[in-house]
Amino acid sequence: MAVADVRDMLDLPADGHPRPHKKQKVVEKRPEGITRELYALLGERAPPIAITENRYKGRPKWMSKVKVRSWQMTPFTNSARTDNLVLRHWQRQQDTVNNVPPPDGAEMDVDGKPEDEAVLTAEQEAYHFAKYNVRAQMPKRYTDEQYDRHLRSDEWTREETDYLMDLVEEFDLRWVVIADRYECQPQPSDTETGGAALVPAKQHRTMEQMKARYYAITASMLALEHPPSEMSETEFELHEKMVKFDPERERTRKELAALQLNRTADEVREEGILLEELKRIVANEQTFIAERKELYARLEVPISVGNTTMYQSSQGLSQLLQTLMQADKSKKRRSLLGTEGSGASPASQTPTQNILSGLRDSRADTPIGPTPTTATKRTAASNTHQTLKPLTPAEEVRYGVQHHDRLPSGVQFRNDRAQKLTQAKSNIQTQKLAAALAELEVPLRLVMPTERICKEFEKLIHSVNLFLDARKVAEKVESEIRVLEAAREERERKERESVQGMTKDIADVKLESEDRHIHVDGRSIGHAAESEALSDEIDDPGDSEDAPGEADADGENDVLSSTKDTPVREKEAFTTAHKRSASVHSIISNRSTKRQRK
Amino acid sequence: MNPSIPPSSAEYGGGTVLIRRDEVSAIVLDPGFSTTRAGFAGEDTPKSLIPTYYGQYSISSQQKHIFGDDIFVTPRPAFSVHNPISRDGVVEDWEMAEKVWEYSFTSRLTGTRSGNFVLNGLDDLHEDEPSREMEGVELEEKPLADSPLLMSECGWNPTKAREKTIEIAMESWGTPAFYLAKNGVLAAFAAGKASALVVDVGASNVSVTPVHDGMILKRGVQHSPLGGDYISSQIRALFKTNSPQPITITPHYLIASKAPVDAGQPPQVTYKAFPPDKTPDASYRTLLEERTLTEFKECVVQVWPGPNRLSATGPNGVANEELAKSSPGRPFEFPDGYNQVFGVDRYRVVESLFDTKAAILDPDSPFPAPVQAQAIPELIKSALNGVDVDIRPHLLANVVVTGASSLLYGFNDRLNQELIQNFPSPRVRISAPGNTAERRFGSWIGGSILASLGTFHQMWISKKEYEEHGVSIVEKRCK
Ligand SMILES: Nc1ncnc2c1ncn2[C@@H]1O[C@H](COP(=O)(O)OP(=O)(O)OP(=O)(O)O)[C@@H](O)[C@H]1O
Ligand SMILES: [Mg+2]
Repeated sequence: MAVADVRDMLDLPADGHPRPHKKQKVVEKRPEGITRELYALLGERAPPIAITENRYKGRPKWMSKVKVRSWQMTPFTNSARTDNLVLRHWQRQQDTVNNVPPPDGAEMDVDGKPEDEAVLTAEQEAYHFAKYNVRAQMPKRYTDEQYDRHLRSDEWTREETDYLMDLVEEFDLRWVVIADRYECQPQPSDTETGGAALVPAKQHRTMEQMKARYYAITASMLALEHPPSEMSETEFELHEKMVKFDPERERTRKELAALQLNRTADEVREEGILLEELKRIVANEQTFIAERKELYARLEVPISVGNTTMYQSSQGLSQLLQTLMQADKSKKRRSLLGTEGSGASPASQTPTQNILSGLRDSRADTPIGPTPTTATKRTAASNTHQTLKPLTPAEEVRYGVQHHDRLPSGVQFRNDRAQKLTQAKSNIQTQKLAAALAELEVPLRLVMPTERICKEFEKLIHSVNLFLDARKVAEKVESEIRVLEAAREERERKERESVQGMTKDIADVKLESEDRHIHVDGRSIGHAAESEALSDEIDDPGDSEDAPGEADADGENDVLSSTKDTPVREKEAFTTAHKRSASVHSIISNRSTKRQRK
Repeated sequence: MNPSIPPSSAEYGGGTVLIRRDEVSAIVLDPGFSTTRAGFAGEDTPKSLIPTYYGQYSISSQQKHIFGDDIFVTPRPAFSVHNPISRDGVVEDWEMAEKVWEYSFTSRLTGTRSGNFVLNGLDDLHEDEPSREMEGVELEEKPLADSPLLMSECGWNPTKAREKTIEIAMESWGTPAFYLAKNGVLAAFAAGKASALVVDVGASNVSVTPVHDGMILKRGVQHSPLGGDYISSQIRALFKTNSPQPITITPHYLIASKAPVDAGQPPQVTYKAFPPDKTPDASYRTLLEERTLTEFKECVVQVWPGPNRLSATGPNGVANEELAKSSPGRPFEFPDGYNQVFGVDRYRVVESLFDTKAAILDPDSPFPAPVQAQAIPELIKSALNGVDVDIRPHLLANVVVTGASSLLYGFNDRLNQELIQNFPSPRVRISAPGNTAERRFGSWIGGSILASLGTFHQMWISKKEYEEHGVSIVEKRCK
């Protein structure tokens, strides 16, 4: 019940709200040509089909105002033709006939014959489509003399060359068509065949041969016209292109293209799969490289400053800027030269270089950057630049002269710098570092931080860092090996079981299971042995300050050997190598345990 | 489109042809083996469509000829039907070919005498030249005196035949300008392409024509007789061995009355009796049977759509033949009232277009058993092998299907499957108009487009040029 009805019942005056209109009573417009009665029969809803009338399209209103212009069948000639063929087409009648006649006596005469006038104008006015009659620009033809002097060829007779040139011109350099229509029957010329009277066999020319001949001729014609030194740039380019055309290469390219086209569906599918695989491998490689990079970035932590108080003055800020710039620069330099890190120890230089070269190897065949010798040369050069009076190295040492790329402003204590080195990124890492140092009996705080000691300390810290990371990797690999071992065990066990199932010898089964027991034992022992060896390695660095370098090298070899080839495969090889060594261990220990049992 | 604006450089080429028209009221004539199509350039279907067959009979020892659709109508005594074109698609009987073609345009397009309004201008032109005037008089007697003529030909038309064609057009019909175009090229134009691989499945032939930049590549042109007539012969062979009973096609003219029968039941029909001296020739009956067969092709015959051949097993391990059997059949009623549902057989009759081993063998057939090299996929393969390798991928991406027999149900799907199987790596794209008329008249429509192009008018061989150079000009100009 609507509000209005209620109001009505209650005799209330209809208030300002008028009864809402039945909205959207869309009155479909009755199409013309349908009577009202017929249209009413359609009911309220228009049928879903469109009612269209079958009659000619009317003129738009505005057109009725336009004066009708008559069209006329007019003859015309086409200037692209040479024979003055007269064809006729409908044309709008020229307005000039009806408009003001030109005040020319002769024209007035013509006015009497409008037909002729039309013909005239049509002919005067160039045929609209004639301008599309364009042909490829052909080089000048050679003269007899030019041909004899420059263009002779053992493979092409003059007749055939002429034929080729004609054909090229005829088909506007469409080589596909030229090669298709090429049919040259060489006429046996009396002068050449002479007494032999051999009719030369009909030669089959490939498109490449034709192209080669044509380009050779055009290039030499071009060169005859202007020597290469006087050619314009485009001409020269054209000339170069034509001279460099290599039919043999074209031929092999086409062969390859044909092969590519004639692949079977299986091959295509396989290619798709391989491409997919490649994509995956590349993606894996990327992540691997990224991981590795991160690892090494950690091994060469740039000198970071934990304390911010010193940057609160403007001086401190400029200092920060400089350090950052320096870090930036040294980074760039490192990537360029491979070596020469400002604070990098020789031990850590090698891995950087290796890694860089490894990365480059795996990415592309770009040659590795300048060798260290050139690098040292460079530094030498810069040295001479900086000091006016070159000092000999001995003198430098004596006077304590040092060269810095850029000196940070302000005063710095060496001790502070050394201190910063002992702070690693993470707390755990710092603790580990401290532990290692404690083990080496090197105090965290240097007692006598001279220049040399600081350098050595730096080296040491780097080595320790490196070593820690190497150990981490080793542990990871170790655990992988263990998993794989277990998997292999499992597999072997299954195999053996199946073999036994065939022989159905219960006693054997027992024996075997015992054996396995032993084997498993042996393996665990083997592992113990290995881990011992590892701990030996860990102990090693404690012996002397130089030792870590060796240990590092060891660890690196393991890790880095994998960068040389595709990392995935290398990794596999790496793990299998470990597996092998592990199994060797286990076999040995197997024997030893057996012996023990006996 | 405003003709005063010059077209941009991209308008012609690049796969699409943008039409800039300038009508010169040219006539386009596309003579095929089964039908001859003629019409005015610029229109979208040929106005005149007549059978290429002509009828021949003699009345009081005088030979008479019948052209056009009239040949189907009256079974006169000893009335025989002939085709001036050989099975190869090349004209055999020039005298009759000329008459048939002439009939195709005089009957509906030009009338027997040329129209007069167009001549006005010409007459005025010639007024001051008495020598030309004579020509003008001569022109009036010839059927094509004021219409340029564009004719089509098959890709393998020999030089002799081409020269004969221009001779007829110029001398018998008096056309002021003439051009002879390959029907493959025209079909490509009709599809809006300047480069394409045209597969034309006509009546007498299947042809594959590589077209590059509006020119055929002769070494790639392939053709084989596995066209509509071959399919008809396959259907006949099927009817002979049909179960539950062999089928004979009885044309309507032989039937006096018939009663409806159930599917598969023998027809109840009374035949018209023709006394031996009144019977038409056997060729007449064959022609009428052919009409029924065409109907049968339209309604029943189906191409196995693939993948794989009908005789092979499909991707899910079920034999394709089993699949075909399980699909519902299609009924067909013959003129004598016999009717039947056709099952897997409707696939068999056309399978040999793709897999010639599947051909139904019939010793009485005029067609020898086909070899695999004649199958359509093989034709396409050898056509591609005949052209430069660089354009093959482009051709494969522009396969144009034309000809009335390509209207067979499922033809395009199968062709696509076969091409994908044979050429898995480049993209294969078939373009076939869905419109029946466009498919049947593909080459005519292309001619209609070409002859109304403004830029084409420089290509015509004019009467003057013909008189100067003789018939050999056709080889030079119509490349
Ligand atoms: N809808 C259809 N489905 C299948 N086949 C058909 C259909 N319509 C006509 N045909 C067949 O197509 C053939 C005629 O094709 P078309 O008109 O293209 O040949 P044509 O151009 O005259 O001959 P050709 O190209 O060999 O010179 C006839 O054999 C006819 O039976
Ligand atoms: Mg045809």
